[in-house]
Amino acid sequence: MDFSIITENISEYIDGTWLTIQLVGMSLLIGLVLSVPFAVMRSTNRIFISGPVWLFTYCFRGTPLLVQMFLFYYGLGQLEFIKELSQSWTFLQNAYWYALFAFTLNTAAYTTEIIRGAIVATPYGEIEAARACGMSRSLVLRRVVLPSAFRRALPAYSNEVIFMLHGSALASLITLVDITGAARIINSRYYSPYEAFLTAAAFYMALTFLIVWGFRQLEKCWHAHLKPRETN
Amino acid sequence: MHETASGRAAEHHALVCEDIHKSFGTLEVLKGVSLSAHKGDVIAMLGSSGSGKSTFLRCINLLETPNSGQVFVGGELIRMATDKRGEPQAVDRRQVERLRTRLAMVFQSFNLWSHMTVLQNVIEAPVHVLKKPKREAIEQAEALLEKVGIRARKNDYPAHLSGGQQQRVAIARALAMDPDVMLFDEPTSALDPELVNEVLKVIKDLAEEGRTMIVVTHEMGFAREVSTETVFLHEGRVEEAGPPQEVFEHPKSERFQQFLAGTLK
Repeated sequence: MDFSIITENISEYIDGTWLTIQLVGMSLLIGLVLSVPFAVMRSTNRIFISGPVWLFTYCFRGTPLLVQMFLFYYGLGQLEFIKELSQSWTFLQNAYWYALFAFTLNTAAYTTEIIRGAIVATPYGEIEAARACGMSRSLVLRRVVLPSAFRRALPAYSNEVIFMLHGSALASLITLVDITGAARIINSRYYSPYEAFLTAAAFYMALTFLIVWGFRQLEKCWHAHLKPRETN
Repeated sequence: MHETASGRAAEHHALVCEDIHKSFGTLEVLKGVSLSAHKGDVIAMLGSSGSGKSTFLRCINLLETPNSGQVFVGGELIRMATDKRGEPQAVDRRQVERLRTRLAMVFQSFNLWSHMTVLQNVIEAPVHVLKKPKREAIEQAEALLEKVGIRARKNDYPAHLSGGQQQRVAIARALAMDPDVMLFDEPTSALDPELVNEVLKVIKDLAEEGRTMIVVTHEMGFAREVSTETVFLHEGRVEEAGPPQEVFEHPKSERFQQFLAGTLK
């Protein structure tokens, strides 16, 4: 193990970590914002509302993230109007936006299904109690169904966040220098895979630790109603 | 306000239900049940399981939409119609929501909102439905929790309370709406025997205060002692109705006699 390789190139990893955090953070955020209305639509029993969302989640959960990313990055570039647009909007030439687009839709699909499951599992009596005191449908959703669904969804969602973090390593395949991208560069420069990829693994583990810790804090305040009673 | 004779009569009542029919598929659960409550009436509804008493109660606040019949709340008719598929529907959802705030319901299985504390459960509807200022709602909620004897647990979550305590919170939650009529759907049926009395006592106190209540119950002693009118439902019809002294002492219907013999054993 040659630690000098790691210490000399640590700044590459730090830049890569920053890109990973940006990509994953942005896609999770936008994905979450999309998934809440999607999940609500998906849990209605009107087929013309839930159907399109079902199709969306089926497509994005039914295909590998890598294939989706390649389709957006290589596929969209083939379209004439995208080619023309990218003349004036140069950001369309940047792989970052294609990765972000693929990641966002992918995590939106999984998160939609997670939240839908939690919505469907809302105790029906609680919904009836809300209706019985005169709440409108949207108020029932806002005050009773969603707050309780988010709490139930939390453990499954923490998994999705971790999967997304690790899935983001695929971005390195379309020229982006995230943590994995940095590792690939170091590996090709020194031909020392252990140093290069073990360092990347350590960075991912550190990020995962932060995610797990963060969700623990959230669970502490959000799951207080599920905790066994303190003996006193 | 309403041109029908029943509409005019309904104005003097807190609640009038006329000829309520309800079917689930081919099963006709209610075959024309009528009931009217003056302000301050306590109507106990008895009947064996499957007699339709819970369904009837749920038709009053439209948790179930009756197939036919009329419901007047404080003289106001809830407008209903049949939709394209032949399903009964309320015409104006807003009206139903508004009238539901006048009809508070207490459920057999409490149905407290599990992610909210006791206090949050009680202030939720006053703040978000009645748009009361939060501070005022909290003051009122604390007084109500005091009344049902559970103020000390106001910051606990429902899962940390016993069934009797949860039901008392549910009663406080219903009272917080300051309803005109309270609907109790077998409020003690899910409770351990030793917890039944603490809940019945709270309901009895409310009756003595002059609250208008419809109580679906299996507690004969309670019906006899507290109600101003006892209604016995059998197979979706009212078999016997009248002041409790009368119906318990001299039951006219054979079914009710059998029912009493069966339950008082």
